[in-house]
Amino acid sequence: MVEALLDGLLRVLQPNALLYMMLGVFIGFWVGILPGLGGTVTLALMLPFVYGMEPVQAFAFLLGMHSVVATTGDLTSILFGIPGEGLSAALVLDGYAMTKRGEAGRALGANLMSSLIGALVGAAALAASIPVVRPLVLSFGAPELFMLAVMGIAFIASLSGRGARGLARGVAAGALGLLVSSVGQDPQAGILRYTFGQLYLWSGIDIVPAVVGLFALPEILDLMVRRTSIAATAPTEKLTGVWEGVRDCFRHFGLTLRCSLIGAFIGIMPGLGGGVAQWMSYGHAVQSAKTAEERARFGKGDVRGVVGPGAANNSKEGGALIPTVAFGVPGSSAMAVLLGGFFLTGLVPGPDMLTRYLPVTYSMVWTLVLANVVTVALCFPLLPYLARLTTIRATRLVPFLLLLVFVGAYTSNNSWGDILVAVAFGILGYAMVRFGWPRAPLVLGLVLGDIAERYLWISVARYGWDWLGRPGVAVLILLTVSVLLVPFLQEWKQRRAGYAFREAAHAD
Amino acid sequence: MVWGRRIGALVTVAAVLSAFAGSALGQVSFAGKTVVILVGNPPGGGYDRLGRVVARHLGRHLAGNPTVVVQNMPGAAGVVAANHLYHVARPDGLTLGLFNQNMVFGQLLEVEGLRADMRRWQWVGSVTRETDVFTIRADLPYRHVLDLRRAEPPLAIGATAPGSGSYDFPLVLKAFLKLNVRIVSGYPGRSDIMLAIERRELDGVAGSWSSMKPFAQRGLVRVLVKTPSDNPELRDVPSDVDLAAEPTHKAVLQLHAVPNRIGRPFVLPPGAPADVVRAYREAFRKLADDPAFRAEAERLGFEVVYTSGEQCLRIVEEVLASPPGVVRIFKSFFRFGE
Repeated sequence: MVEALLDGLLRVLQPNALLYMMLGVFIGFWVGILPGLGGTVTLALMLPFVYGMEPVQAFAFLLGMHSVVATTGDLTSILFGIPGEGLSAALVLDGYAMTKRGEAGRALGANLMSSLIGALVGAAALAASIPVVRPLVLSFGAPELFMLAVMGIAFIASLSGRGARGLARGVAAGALGLLVSSVGQDPQAGILRYTFGQLYLWSGIDIVPAVVGLFALPEILDLMVRRTSIAATAPTEKLTGVWEGVRDCFRHFGLTLRCSLIGAFIGIMPGLGGGVAQWMSYGHAVQSAKTAEERARFGKGDVRGVVGPGAANNSKEGGALIPTVAFGVPGSSAMAVLLGGFFLTGLVPGPDMLTRYLPVTYSMVWTLVLANVVTVALCFPLLPYLARLTTIRATRLVPFLLLLVFVGAYTSNNSWGDILVAVAFGILGYAMVRFGWPRAPLVLGLVLGDIAERYLWISVARYGWDWLGRPGVAVLILLTVSVLLVPFLQEWKQRRAGYAFREAAHAD
Repeated sequence: MVWGRRIGALVTVAAVLSAFAGSALGQVSFAGKTVVILVGNPPGGGYDRLGRVVARHLGRHLAGNPTVVVQNMPGAAGVVAANHLYHVARPDGLTLGLFNQNMVFGQLLEVEGLRADMRRWQWVGSVTRETDVFTIRADLPYRHVLDLRRAEPPLAIGATAPGSGSYDFPLVLKAFLKLNVRIVSGYPGRSDIMLAIERRELDGVAGSWSSMKPFAQRGLVRVLVKTPSDNPELRDVPSDVDLAAEPTHKAVLQLHAVPNRIGRPFVLPPGAPADVVRAYREAFRKLADDPAFRAEAERLGFEVVYTSGEQCLRIVEEVLASPPGVVRIFKSFFRFGE
């Protein structure tokens, strides 16, 4: 195995492959920063160019491009509160809050560094898990996938608010997300649900315009009302705290590491989708807060809320490679396009990729590592300049931001319906922020709703009631219940601690 | 947004102008255009692969050598994409459709949700031929398809949605050959079904030979039945028509195998201009003879056989004009669904 690992590295370091990787990184860098062109679309566009390349060169090119998009797409989330890729919205919560406080540099530094660590850890986890990855993936059947989706929603719902009231709101928001996800033709019989005679709604509510509307529009509205720059209230010398952000990653190194692993694991599970990884690790970061006061800081600019999702964002790419390579089942939409690259270069995804063609598989892992190092090295010198964007006056910035938002929304279906969805969710998002409802469970419900529905149906159709008795399902149910109980436990513990404190005071 | 509108207006003007120019010269030029092939299935399956290999070679055979790209619009066994192309997409000849070949049955059976008349599509033609096969996991003890009558417990057969080949074919076999199988539908795509087979959640799956071939070759599944076909690779596999006992059943199975004769056809929306349709039909005829395309498609597992758009339409009309008795059985057997 070590031999294959080194062999893979040598293959990537060949001048040709390295050159193609740099080309990919260059293209991906711009695609990630510019709105509208998603990473998946770009991969599909670049796919024909891999004809005639060797497999290692082809994947250095494609993966190099792909891994950069994930990193640079995060920048707009932090700088402007606009999710660059539809699913990198978890970074908006604390990243943009930090920017508003004048700590854009620190947030960007923390994000880039954690991205790099995430990519390295993800690749290492991937390399180490290749021998066991087939049994691992195969042990997650339809019932387990359904429970994972339910747990994901419950997890975020329970962490989004404090106490029983916060939990109720979180669960309600998650349920609303599930409801919204049921819009469109159902996957079993093609019956139209909640489409109100609108053809646009047949394919359901697209995640990108919904998320962009939900998170970015309320912030832009806020900026318009304030009529100042994003980081107006903050002293300007904090703007260049890039190195402070880098240090934050190492200050919370355990968290960075765990979130990287969460990302890699979710990436490996085919069918869950990479967007979930960011939210789960954000949830984990919130969970790592020890006291309720500490937890209340999340959403208001806690650097851990940037470090966690940043780490998961890049480690998931390594993970998503696995089902694609080992089974021919793509773990994300970008990986699905990559699958085309396999056929074009004459590789057959399947068990052979983990044995006979192991060096090729490892060369892909190495590409992810190298491309991320290059990207981070390219981005760091730019960060102080990027951070300065947040001192531009609102009247100049807002038109540009609106363009960013609506072009981003429109390109998901090239339909006016996308714009309307973004606006509708913008209004909803504004109301939710105003009245203290968490938006994250809504997004997760929306993302996971389709998965949950399909796999619940399949579980019941295949196993009847027996699916509830599977050990994996039992464990996941227990985890879900305990996740939902945590807020109550914490409240109870706090009340007891308060009681004990008063008792002690009385004894004095 | 203003820009979007301006660009949209420009594109429209350009499209109208070029359409005029084209009809004046008697030839449509696609120079500088981008043709979208709308695939009704998610990436990773046979339809997607076919769409992509055609996209790579089709441009050469159209005047002006346009860029051809694939767009996936999965959902309800291709109905979402078909409805979109029929009602939403502009019939300007820049969007081609590639859908579930069984969709004509949706119309025959008046499936709710399908809002496209198969007789009104502008059929462009097909460059591949399909044989449907029914496969089970290779580690199961059943060697012959009729062994499955005694299968205990009933085998779980994976499917995406009613109306797709993965759903219909096992259902016909279950009914006419009295196989002890049940259908579990709702999987997002074929690749998810194959993974479920690998983890033993499912016992079998039906599908086109081109998409099942890699899995059969690496020993994951065993082919038990095929639709009538002279494909040499499937010489030793019995056909469903031969196995059926009753003449009406044979007739229904013949009807069921009809879409295989049109392979995987490409269509234009009903309103597409006649000269554009002519240009595409010609391009597909040339494509089927193009050695570079043939070599690549065959490497991807396809059987390259040309069927003209006119033939596709004839076959569709034949299906929709089937004797009422046969259709009645066809319909009743669809209600056998679990």
